Amino acid sequence: MNITHHPDTVWLVDYACGTLSRGFDLVMAAHLAACPQCARELGRAERLGAELMMDSIPVAVTTRPTALREAGSPVSAWTQSRPLNGLASANGNPVDLQTLVAQYLECGISALPWRSAGRGLSIAKLRATQHERVWLLRAAAGTVLPRHTHSGSELTLVLKGAFFNCDRIYAAGDVEDADETTDHQPVVTNEGECICLAVTEGPLRFRALLPRLAQGYLGI
Amino acid sequence: MTDTTEPIADRANVLPFPADGLREPEVDPAARETELLLRLRDFRDEAAFAQLFACFAPKVQGYLQRTGLDPADAENVLQDIMIAVWNKAHQFDATRASARTWIFSMARNRLIDLKRAERREFVALERYVGETAGDAIYEEDLYARAAGQKSVALLSQLPEAQARVLVMAYVEGKSHREIARELNLPIGTVKSRARLAFQRIRGIFEAAN
Repeated sequence: MNITHHPDTVWLVDYACGTLSRGFDLVMAAHLAACPQCARELGRAERLGAELMMDSIPVAVTTRPTALREAGSPVSAWTQSRPLNGLASANGNPVDLQTLVAQYLECGISALPWRSAGRGLSIAKLRATQHERVWLLRAAAGTVLPRHTHSGSELTLVLKGAFFNCDRIYAAGDVEDADETTDHQPVVTNEGECICLAVTEGPLRFRALLPRLAQGYLGI
Repeated sequence: MTDTTEPIADRANVLPFPADGLREPEVDPAARETELLLRLRDFRDEAAFAQLFACFAPKVQGYLQRTGLDPADAENVLQDIMIAVWNKAHQFDATRASARTWIFSMARNRLIDLKRAERREFVALERYVGETAGDAIYEEDLYARAAGQKSVALLSQLPEAQARVLVMAYVEGKSHREIARELNLPIGTVKSRARLAFQRIRGIFEAAN
């Protein structure tokens, strides 16, 4: 996998600090599993965190290490905070991002509730909360997506195929990092269908009326 | 013979190695921690665990309290982290991270779990608290070590505006979006500050290796 577009450093800092919401965390984990360069940068972000942690003013604790050891392993009941974490060990190896995301979704990508959004485009909404929306986007070769701006951050990870935007090609493994300053109109390349995993902070703002009308129905 | 060259040559005879070589060899604390964690991983060495605990527990406790947890909650989280260190030591890979980086990521994951579960009912606070609270060795060991102050130096190498962003992220636990909102800055400014800060930090880490 030849990854050329990466999320901004702030995303790696947020990932290292554990401050991302689930959707952004998912996209970052999937990209990190495929991108050795970002995995190295994450290593530095975690190392910085470790240095800052070790620089804290020490506070005496009453816990004794022997007591902990005897306590057995209550932590085994931890919920898995990052379902894709284990896959990060695949760093440097080609990762099938579709399989990876399908694992997280516990179903094949085709089994998702796809809804047609017209003009060669289908959308499957995976998660919608007050703060973020996560969806998969599947577009046929050559599809021109509706032009839109954002009301917050958006990360789009290409799982399959490629799209053009602003003279750049985003291919499998690449992340397009957009925010409220970005006005864009992605166009799928002619080679084949394109599947992307996208997470946005706020609703998209479409330029044209029709996609605006469809927005409520599609839940984007 | 007047002055200059001769005495230097003399001194060179007396000290056949550079003066620096006479100092006590300084053990890098990070390297020592990693060595202890490897001993725990490979031999389930209880003494190594106790020493790791002495190195980390007070610092992690201090860190957790700085992130806003009250002391009792922080100590419960600390206990979970240190139990995870004991239980998951076999997963530690020294070629990927130092012990402190690995333990930082454990702490981070635990905080994510707590935040996501949104349950703050911490079970039985006194769970693992030993009967003999306050063994002097832990406190001593730790205050002796507090001298290090390496990372303060690390952040002081950054312009204040960049350091501020990192402190808000790492210590106050804020996302870059929250940082932008709180400092009333465009998101792009926060992004470029983090990017510039990391260029510098990358250089510092590379120089340290």
